[in-house]
Formats: sequence, structure tokens, C-alpha cells
Amino acid sequence: MRAVRRPWANPLVQFVVASLLLFGLTWWATGIFSQRAARSEALADARVTTELLANSVAEPAMPRGLVDGDPGAIDRFDREVLGRLLVSDVRRIKIWRADGTIVYSDETQLIGKRFSLDHEQLSVLHNGDTEGGLSDLRRRENRFESEEGGLLEVYTRIESPEGQPLLFEAYYSVETVKQRSVEVLKPFRRITLGALVALLLLGVPLLGVLTLRLTRASLARERLMRRAVESSEAERRRIARDLHDGVVQELAGTAFALSGTARDASVSPELRDELQGSSQALRRSLRQLRSLLVEIHPPGLTASGLGAALEDLTAPAASAGISTRVSVDGVEGAPDHVVTLVWRVAQEAIRNAVRHAHAANLTVEVRGDEREVRLTVRDDGAGFDPSASARDGSYGLRGLQSLVEDGGGRVRVDSTPGDGTTVRMAVERR
Amino acid sequence: MVTRTALAAIAVGALTLPVGLVAPATASHGGNDVRTSGGCSGSANWKLKAKPDNGRIEVEGEIDSNRSGQVWHWKLKHNGSTSARGTKRTTGPSGSFQVQRRMANLAGKDHFTLRATHGAQVCRGTISY
Repeated sequence: MRAVRRPWANPLVQFVVASLLLFGLTWWATGIFSQRAARSEALADARVTTELLANSVAEPAMPRGLVDGDPGAIDRFDREVLGRLLVSDVRRIKIWRADGTIVYSDETQLIGKRFSLDHEQLSVLHNGDTEGGLSDLRRRENRFESEEGGLLEVYTRIESPEGQPLLFEAYYSVETVKQRSVEVLKPFRRITLGALVALLLLGVPLLGVLTLRLTRASLARERLMRRAVESSEAERRRIARDLHDGVVQELAGTAFALSGTARDASVSPELRDELQGSSQALRRSLRQLRSLLVEIHPPGLTASGLGAALEDLTAPAASAGISTRVSVDGVEGAPDHVVTLVWRVAQEAIRNAVRHAHAANLTVEVRGDEREVRLTVRDDGAGFDPSASARDGSYGLRGLQSLVEDGGGRVRVDSTPGDGTTVRMAVERR
Repeated sequence: MVTRTALAAIAVGALTLPVGLVAPATASHGGNDVRTSGGCSGSANWKLKAKPDNGRIEVEGEIDSNRSGQVWHWKLKHNGSTSARGTKRTTGPSGSFQVQRRMANLAGKDHFTLRATHGAQVCRGTISY
């Protein structure tokens, strides 16, 4: 079957598209994974930083009285630690008492204000450890925050000089997490991009060469096929001509001779009957031989004679009492090999209909346009199950498909038990 | 607000020091600054200035005794609690010293007091911001 060339049918295009899809998928997946890894890493970094600030900066510098809101203690603590607490991406510091009072913050307006601590914060305050997560900027204690993209808060426990447990809380910009994600992602992106480019650079030329070889092999096979068909046609023509010019002429002459002898008055009645019988038998054989010759190679099988040739094919059906209709249109100028294929497929379909369908009506329709020629043979007979037939390895169906594929066409058989059969075939007109 | 601040400073000064030991304090303002000044129990004078500084209040105090080389003990209080303290020596022809500290800007009005002593001489100035 000669397929219509579509861009996506090209293996090279398929390879490039598949590579790009794979690349997109890898790009997306590495983005997701690296973001997760970066978030996790940033949170781990923030935990370490928070513990360091809490245990090495805030706790040792905390003066007595701070926990009770002493303004002098707040001043001293603020002067001593502020510059050391707000390092790198730390955006806010809060130190909480267990009752929810902020005893210190770099935002001094929050000092002395009281808010509720959530379950997780209370748990850290009582049990230690370090926890964190995204800040809820809608909470009242976060009303001074205007960080684009949000904040990440991490808290841990410290103790005042008076031995009172306090919650040390540090806030980090989420933008930092995103930057970290980009940093983590960059090497992955380079690897992904490099791998794809390498794959394309290596694969495209290789696949291009292979495709070229396959195309050439396919064209060579097509040429061979056409020559085989042409040779077969030539051989059929030769056999038909030899039979017609030799055996058929001799049999016809013999039949005439026998008839002539039988009319001779000197021949006895017994011998005359014998000769008449032999002559009639010869004539029957002659008719069968001529039908066979038509089947092997119908005379004058060209586009202009296709209608008549199809009429001849349906003649046995008409003789068997089946109502037949043949319609041919738009095939003028179609090449001989196309016409031959149409005729052979019609021949096979009609033969099957006459032998197996027990149909009342048989329609043969041929339609052509500038692109292809289409044949439809439809009967209203017994029909069959094509899938069962395919499983059984029906020679008729397989033969039909093989015939069409060899001729560069495509065929489809639609049938339902009790609902007739339709054979459709299309072949490119070139 | 500034007038009220000045009045408050005068009132606090008047109530906390014996009458006749110090001259009355005066208050003024320029831009975001608040300034007060007054006399000490001797011949020295004090000046205080408070101004905003990146979310904090910067408090500057100056004692001018006209005697160079004197050692003064000073204390800076914030809302009555000692925020900073130290010792300074007067220098220069004017015989003065300065202290300067950044204080937390707490909710509500903040009151600062500078107390400096040299022997029997006592300076006590207040400012609110």
C-alpha cells in the first residue's frame, strides 16, 4: 500500500518529537524534585542558623530583667545582639514567653504585646527541639511583615538568665528558598539540556542515514513489486494468447468437423448420435475454456473498458438469479495497473458473493478522483463474522488483502452475519 | 505633642530635684528631633536630644561644666530602668562630655533620663519621645 506521506510519519520527526517530549518531561520533573530538595535544604539551613543564633548569640547575651519587660534590659540586649541576629536572610526575630508575650523583637513595637502560641510552638517551648514552616502572615503578630513571597519561620527553645523557658523565633525570606531552588536546579538543567543536545546531535544524523536507507530499500522493493506484477500480467497475456490461438482454435475446428461429419448421410444413426454428443461436449469445454481465458486476462482491460469488464464479471451472478448493478465513474485515464487491481479485487469479491453469500442483490461501484480510485462491492447475502474468519485463516480474505497490498492499495471488509458484506478498496491513482 | 513633651519634662524635673538647685529646663524641636536642656546643681549645664534612628531612638546627652579634666559618673535611664551607665572626663575649652546611645522605641511614649554626678554636683535631665 502506498501510504500518503505525512510529516509525523517520518521516523526522524518522530524521534525529534519524542526527544522533545522526553526533554520537557525531564525538565518538569527535575524542576519539581529540585524545588523539593531546595526547600528541604533551605529549611535545614534555617534550622541550623536558628539554633546557632539562639544558642550562641541570643541566650548568652540575654540580660536579667528582659523576660519581665525591663526597658533598660531591652535596650542593652538590643544594642548588643541586633547586628548579630539580623544576618544574611534573617528578616525578623521574636523571643516569646510561654504566656505568648513577646519579650524581644527587632520590631520593638511588638515588645510587650501578647499573642497566642500555637500547639507546635508550645510543644517546642516545653520539649525543646527545633521546628519550622511557612508563616501565616495574616496573624496579628505578623502585621509588620511585608515580605513578597512570604516568610519561613523557625523556632527553638532558649532559657532566660532567670531559668525561664523562652521561644526563640527567626523568620527567613521565602525568596531565599526560591533562589536556593534555582541554585540546586541549575546543574540539573545543564545536565538535562546537555544530554538532549548530545542525543539529538548523535541520534538525528544516525536516524537520518537509517531512514534514507530504509526509504531507498522501500523504493527498490516497490519497483521490484511493480515489475513482478507487470511480468505476471505479461505471462498471463502470453498464456491467454497461446491458449486462444492454439488449443481454442483447434478445439473449435474439431467441434465443427465433428458436427459436419455427423450431418453426413452415410454415417449410421448410432455413430451420428455419438458424434453429435462429442461435438456438444467439445463446445461446452470450449465455453469453459473461454471463460477461463477471460478470468486469466480479460481482453481490452483498460480504464475505458473497465465497466464492460465488470459487467462480464457479474454475468455468472446474473445467471445465478442475482440482481446486479455495475456503476463506474471518474476512472478515465487511470493507469492500467490500477484498473487491473480494481478488476481483480472485484473479481474476488464477486466470486465470493456468488459462491457463499446467497445474495439477492449485488452492487459493484467504482469511483475515481484525481487522487485515488475506490471500489465498493456490496451484497445483501448471508454475511459472515470477519474476526472469526480472520482467526480461521480464511484463504479468501487473506488472498484479497495480499492482492491489494501487493498492488499498493488498502482494503476493508465489513460484514455481519445475516446482514450482507461490503468490500471496499482504494488505490492511489498514479 | 512637642509642647506637651516639654511641659512634661519641665514637670518631671521640677518634681524630682530640690527647688533652687537647678535652673528650669527648656524644650525645643527641629524636624523629628526633640531637645531639652537645663542647669545642674552647680555651674554645669546639661543638654538632651532624642531623634529617630532606623526604628530606634537615638538619645544624645551633653554635660558642659566649663572645667576640663573633671571625671563625671553618668547613668541613662529608659522609662525608669537603667539602660546604660559609665564614667566620662570633660575635655576641650568648654569642659564638656557627651554620651550617645540607641534605645528601643517601645510602644507608647518613651521617657529618658540622664543623671550625671561629679562630687556634689548633680545634673539631671529628662526627655520624652
